[in-house]
Amino acid sequence: MDGSIDLMINMGPQHPSTHGVFRLVIWVDGERIIKSEPHIGYLHRGSEKICESEHYAQIVTLFDRMDYVGNLNSELAFCLATEKIMDVDVPERAEYIRVILCELNRIASHMLFYGVYGLDAGAMTPILYAFREREKIQNLFESITGARMMHNYIRIGGIKEDLPGDFQKRIVEVLDHLKRGIEECDALISKNEMFLARTKGVGSISGSDAIDFGVTGPALRASGVAEDIRVTDSYSIYDRFDFNIPVGTYGDCWDRFYVRVEEMRESIKIIEQAVRSLPEGDISASVRRIVRPPKGEVFVRTESPRGDLAVFLVSDGTDKPYRVKVRAPSFANLQALEQMLQGAYLADAVLILGSIDLIMGEVDR
Amino acid sequence: MIGGIIGFVGGLAVTLKSAWREPVTAEYPESEKRLNLEDRYMGFPALTWDGDVGEPYCTGCMVCVRECPTQCMSAEMKDNPLYPLKSRRRKIIDSFEINLARCILCGICVDVCSFDAIEMSHEHELSKYERNANRADLPSLISMGRDYQKKIGWNPRNPEKNNGLPQVEEGGLDSGAGEAVEVEE
Amino acid sequence: MTLSEVFIILAKAVILMLSVSFVVLLLTYAERKALARIQQRMGPTRVGFRGILQPVADALKLITKEDILPTWADKGIYWLAPIAVFVPAFLMWVTIPVAQQVVVENLDLGLLYIVAISVLSVLGLVMAGWGSANKWAVMGGLRAAGQLISYEIPFIMAILGVVMLAQSLDLTEVVTQQNSVPFALVQPLGLFIFLTSALAELGRTPFDIHHAESEVVGGPFVEYSGAHWSIFFLAEYMNTFTIAVLTVLLFLGGWSWPIMPFDGFLHTTLSAIWLLLKTSAVIWLIFWIRGTYPRLRIDQLMAFGWKMLVPLSFLNILMTAVVLFYSIPLWVLTCLSGIFLVAAVYIIRFSASSSMERETIRLISAKELRSKVGIPPLETGGKPE
Repeated sequence: MDGSIDLMINMGPQHPSTHGVFRLVIWVDGERIIKSEPHIGYLHRGSEKICESEHYAQIVTLFDRMDYVGNLNSELAFCLATEKIMDVDVPERAEYIRVILCELNRIASHMLFYGVYGLDAGAMTPILYAFREREKIQNLFESITGARMMHNYIRIGGIKEDLPGDFQKRIVEVLDHLKRGIEECDALISKNEMFLARTKGVGSISGSDAIDFGVTGPALRASGVAEDIRVTDSYSIYDRFDFNIPVGTYGDCWDRFYVRVEEMRESIKIIEQAVRSLPEGDISASVRRIVRPPKGEVFVRTESPRGDLAVFLVSDGTDKPYRVKVRAPSFANLQALEQMLQGAYLADAVLILGSIDLIMGEVDR
Repeated sequence: MIGGIIGFVGGLAVTLKSAWREPVTAEYPESEKRLNLEDRYMGFPALTWDGDVGEPYCTGCMVCVRECPTQCMSAEMKDNPLYPLKSRRRKIIDSFEINLARCILCGICVDVCSFDAIEMSHEHELSKYERNANRADLPSLISMGRDYQKKIGWNPRNPEKNNGLPQVEEGGLDSGAGEAVEVEE
Repeated sequence: MTLSEVFIILAKAVILMLSVSFVVLLLTYAERKALARIQQRMGPTRVGFRGILQPVADALKLITKEDILPTWADKGIYWLAPIAVFVPAFLMWVTIPVAQQVVVENLDLGLLYIVAISVLSVLGLVMAGWGSANKWAVMGGLRAAGQLISYEIPFIMAILGVVMLAQSLDLTEVVTQQNSVPFALVQPLGLFIFLTSALAELGRTPFDIHHAESEVVGGPFVEYSGAHWSIFFLAEYMNTFTIAVLTVLLFLGGWSWPIMPFDGFLHTTLSAIWLLLKTSAVIWLIFWIRGTYPRLRIDQLMAFGWKMLVPLSFLNILMTAVVLFYSIPLWVLTCLSGIFLVAAVYIIRFSASSSMERETIRLISAKELRSKVGIPPLETGGKPE
């Protein structure tokens, strides 16, 4: 268009739908996005550096606060790394409980995504339905770990304390509730023509592009790449369960959305299998309170709700790690944003950003 | 069923259905309306009270202060005035302060305490009228702890080790047991 | 015009103003409660019995809040915009009857007047957007202009269909014409077009694009606070009420359907009850839609308006004209209208996914994936020496 100049807009850091403090500078021509530029760092707390001055047991609390929606999953990543470097065998029961809680946490995280995504699309009710379901999980967490979000429950060598007595009863109730809830959430918005029109074909990214950008997790699977660390590079006891991996076709917003909805259903399958075969026994290996791992370095990948959450840990033999590097999935997934935003509408920017499922605490660390 | 055919009607059906359900939310501040806490709920750390002797379990060993990830605590010990006649503890806590605004409720202090002296209570209200009102001192920590002990019927995890009663014949000492002796000032 | 006549008109206007404001307060409460029910929440519970006084508390709070003027704002336009939105919303009520005789001033060309006035509020929104000196507000204002003007056409055309049936532009006459059968049954397609474009005119979900919170952060209203913001708010809810009443008057038979056996005072009372019941139903529908749907994108909104609603509204007029001209019985029009309504829904159903299939997610079982991918476990770091 001749004579027209592009309008530069600051989306964030105080925009209501940037999922935290994230700033996206976009240049628009009318409603079309010409160029975009993400700016991060507003939530930088120096977690990785703080890790170097904390005991191993204390670092778990820092990991809680990195991905503050998938807390148990990030706790698990660090504990797995420390256990690997110390060569500790975690008791069976602890492994099962970890898997149950992590999958519950995955559902809770995807539920939050579902709700917020509805809000991004302009629907008001999904977030409240999602929270209704998520509260059930949070209440269960509260009865098990003592906290609703910042659990500090998964410890090096095992878990903090055993499941409460009424766990079996409650988990069945929660799962029943969740199954109904997921179907209801699905019926509310997934098949809505307006929602389909908003998300189908928006923000597509091809599988090879996604791999090049380092996209992982549901966002990568939506692009048609069957890659799930739980299966392809199995950790903990995930190789014992039978479940499906939802894989999308076009890598558009709808695929990214619906892969997560399907993942919730699959997580329920995993939890059911784990609860059925939950063994008796110890809940923690005998590990000293102040952990002093031997010298060395270790790299552990896990599948967090957002993707490939990896921890690189260097120990110098003292009670504090020499270096902790976190490969945060949100951070890597964010790299593809510019590509996805190419030629989209301003209103799509919100949806595309939402479909990556960013947690700024994890991006900025 | 019709929702499967026409998506935007299906959504309307879902919302209409839940319009006939009871609300799932609860009203907050009134204690009779709000939701209950689970037994394991981790609120602010509080100091437990040894009712048999009439003093806190805490001896001021500072292990929790050292292990706290946020350095939100400080403690000082003193010689126990009740030792050895009424209590077994040589040292007793003199002053203890937890900055509750800084506490991250991780429960590490409870894990590391070898005297069962600190517990995660069910207190969780942070709203205060003064800037410094969230710095809990020893009396308020103890009163939080006593409320918590009463509420859940708390027992020490390691009673024979942490019992404060002196290990002499029991008869002569009963008079002092159970009385609340304020420890400081 | 004598002094007493002026006085009577003024008195009527004041009474109208007060009653409409009261209705708006009730509406805000009703909306919050209705959405709360849909979302399994409680809604306001604190102020008064079941929170019934919440709107009053809100109003007090808004009035006592500071009115903020952005530094770069165009002062005159900025302060005038709320009035430019509010006045048309209020003026519409001059000729809307709530019963046979209960109306401020019954105009013979009442519907023309309403249509003419209703489009004016766009001006206020654009002024608010421009005057705020805020990029989001400008975008919101421009969106509002585009959206409201394009939906004005199907809106007017749907009204025109009713006018043709009633052979009058006088609202009282339109209602009287419906005492045997409401026009909603004659023109279901017209009702659909009217409601859809009215939702767009109101800027309500799924067409709340110009003040979409997750996109343009509140659009033209983003910089307003306090009393001026509350005037926008008042106007918005007043418009919602207006549209609901208009729907009832034009399509649902107003006060004369289904039954009106009385005269005099009883007539007025029953009229008010009928109108109130029907209006509440329409308003509940609007709230229900708000509680369910996501919003459309601006280009989809325009496409829907111009490619769906405008042709359909012309079709509606055409059908009505043919039926009326050749004196074909009205049930034929009902059938035709219904058929085209179903066809429209069918098109909506399949246009969203015409370019792409619906189910694009396939499930790969973990067993299969484990055997297929031979990705060797990463050998990094490892055991310490």
